[in-house]
Amino acid sequence: MTAVLASSTAFVLLLTITAYSVAGGVDYGAGIWDLLAGRGARADRARALIEQAMAPVWEANNVWLVLAIVVCWTGFPLLFQSVFASLYPLFAFALLALILRGAFFAFRHVWTGPSGRRRTGVVFGISSVLAPFFFAAALGAIASGRVAVNGPNTPVWQACFNPTSIAFGLVSLAATAFIGASFLVGDARRFGMPDMTDYFRLRAVIATAVLIITGTIALAALGLENSRLLSAMLIGLGTPFAVAAVIATPVVGVLLWRGIFHWYRVLSVVVVGSLVFAWGFGQSPYLLPGQLTIAQSAAPPGAQVLLSIVTLLVVVLVLPSLGLLVYLDQRGALESQEG
Amino acid sequence: MMRFHTYLAADALLPSRIQMAFTLAYHVIMVPLGVALPTYALLMNGIGIFKNDPVALRIARRWSVVMAVQFAVGAVTGTILSFEFGILWPRLMGRYGAALGLGFAIEGLAFFLEAIFIGIYLYGWTRLRPKTHFLLGLSLPPAGVLGTFSVLASNSFMQTPGGITLSSTGQLLNVDVLGVLFTRSLGYEFWHFLIAAYIAAGFVVASIYAVSWLRGRRDRYQRLAFAVPFTVAALLTPLQLVVGDLSARALVVDQPAKFAAMEITWKTRSHNPEYIGGLINGAGQVNFGIAIPSFDSILIGLNPDSVAPGLTAAAADARPSIAEANITHLAFDLMVGLGSAGVVLMVWYFVVLLGRRRLPQSRWFYRTASLAGIGSYVAIESGWATTEVGRQPWIVYNLMRVDDAVTTAPGSFVWAMLALLLVVYAVIAIIFVTVLLGLVTRWRHEDERQLVRAPEAGAPYGPRPELAADGSVRSSP
Repeated sequence: MTAVLASSTAFVLLLTITAYSVAGGVDYGAGIWDLLAGRGARADRARALIEQAMAPVWEANNVWLVLAIVVCWTGFPLLFQSVFASLYPLFAFALLALILRGAFFAFRHVWTGPSGRRRTGVVFGISSVLAPFFFAAALGAIASGRVAVNGPNTPVWQACFNPTSIAFGLVSLAATAFIGASFLVGDARRFGMPDMTDYFRLRAVIATAVLIITGTIALAALGLENSRLLSAMLIGLGTPFAVAAVIATPVVGVLLWRGIFHWYRVLSVVVVGSLVFAWGFGQSPYLLPGQLTIAQSAAPPGAQVLLSIVTLLVVVLVLPSLGLLVYLDQRGALESQEG
Repeated sequence: MMRFHTYLAADALLPSRIQMAFTLAYHVIMVPLGVALPTYALLMNGIGIFKNDPVALRIARRWSVVMAVQFAVGAVTGTILSFEFGILWPRLMGRYGAALGLGFAIEGLAFFLEAIFIGIYLYGWTRLRPKTHFLLGLSLPPAGVLGTFSVLASNSFMQTPGGITLSSTGQLLNVDVLGVLFTRSLGYEFWHFLIAAYIAAGFVVASIYAVSWLRGRRDRYQRLAFAVPFTVAALLTPLQLVVGDLSARALVVDQPAKFAAMEITWKTRSHNPEYIGGLINGAGQVNFGIAIPSFDSILIGLNPDSVAPGLTAAAADARPSIAEANITHLAFDLMVGLGSAGVVLMVWYFVVLLGRRRLPQSRWFYRTASLAGIGSYVAIESGWATTEVGRQPWIVYNLMRVDDAVTTAPGSFVWAMLALLLVVYAVIAIIFVTVLLGLVTRWRHEDERQLVRAPEAGAPYGPRPELAADGSVRSSP
């Protein structure tokens, strides 16, 4: 019973990380394209679309991040301690980027002059690159096997920055740009901006190619550093998800290349979700590969039970209200199109 | 220089404590509006709907925009706090995460509900029928109360831990969920803070309209926006005095060393004087300050023979240091002083309101009222300092010391992070104030010219005017 509870908590943890990767990815991805838009009339239109698309989010994505943190320290206290004792620089950097990003998104909005808007926009864009990079690098550092119980088994800086962690960071950037562009295609279509649809279609295709390349590099890095995990991802519980990512990524690229606007957003969610799942299931039953299993770090059953109840409440209360919020957001857009 | 450098590299304890104190003190500023502003906005919304009052509706809608802006800032500063538990105090979470986390898990749910329903409330003004919109908004106050409960449950566990089974080596073997959530201090901590949040939010909102009264605005908009939050906050001040008194007396049993620090009592004794102000030194002597003979004992047990706990009842390394005791004492005095001032203001207000059947018209009243907002925030900060500094040197009272919980990261790292956070938080403060002042200026301008625009148009979050096909932004309705 305890083992089942602990496994389900581990699954909830993986789900919240996935939700943050997807929802945060769409958001960070828009920031990356904002940074890369350059100057000129077309760039201004792209930025106007990005700002419009991101406005309803107002930092609410942080909820997923906080949930992941809380589930981690409540459900797996020893994992939490070990990860933070080893990787605190990565989290500190990610955190600073996260604050700067939110602050400068708001700052740009209230800034009136064009040069000030440009400068605040650059900070917003750069921090949109750094935050997902450092968060994903932390997952890569765990995958590399350098995070041991109570602290790293190498110097902290090596635990944070090594081939696998950097490769994971680069994959996350590509995946973030990929899902961001894919959703911006949808937003451009919703707001009736055909030139922007093409603009982000092209960028989504480029991001697909970059994602395939960085993904291959990351697999090679992982193979060199932790071949056990790589083989578990390729032949094991992670396999179906790895396969799903490998198939879905080029499909999204082809769909958008040919201008077929069906399923591309769902499939890009599948890509990002599968990447996270392939890592998570590939590691299981280990939370820290070769060091700490789910059972070894599980909190006492009372804590697991409470987490299950909270999870259930999130599903029952939060999901329907989230649906209502999305409906209201979309409904406003519909009304004004009619009017 | 050499010694300074060694010190920097060696010890992360001091910068970790400063960083945690700074980021918490900053986050606490966001909390009263986060917890209580929805209630005030809904009160106004209700008046607007049931009395068919467009002015009340306009006020409620504007407050909801402030809600969204401050939620965004609170979400960011709250996220930082959750990471700091790992970056600064990994050993605390490794040992007690399963207990401390229970409250935070519930807080995660509350935070989620708040995020979504603030969004729904903000979008719903133009996209839902007024009553549906109001009813959906009613889910915000309970979410705020749930959030307050859960965070205070975690804090209470650190003050008066309970509901856990420990092994002989101190490992956490089991948690009794209800026992961990409802520890001894939760009863008073929860009510004391919840009431404080409602008072501070009410006074700070009202103080803006007190200033606008002083500047000559005397219309229905100003009267309504001042009177509703001010009346609720004023009504709560005497209740807070009672709850505060109960809290302090509970500490005599629950955390005697903290109580001794609050009263700067050196040796356990009866007929203990109450010091107003004053500083204790390492020899146990109190300098400066006004002593009221036996009054502390009388406050404890309504009897001068009541025994007040002294600092020396705990071992020197298990009680607040002299500096910490003095901080705790002065913070406590400041909180009590400001709370009492709030009660005086309440009496003034109601004497005029009930005696003359109108709002006060004295400039001195509105000058005082315009300071009540800041005053109640200072009271919250000093109350929080009393609780947390008075808990030292324990991070989990009598179970784990702060220096056993701190990170193994080098001090230089934590100092650097602290320096960066100071800069970044200053930027956040500038943005927050710029956005709010921008909104206020724009709203005042619209009221003077009788323009009708969507109040959220100037905020960086929330519903947008639609993009036109050429990418230009259409002016809002």
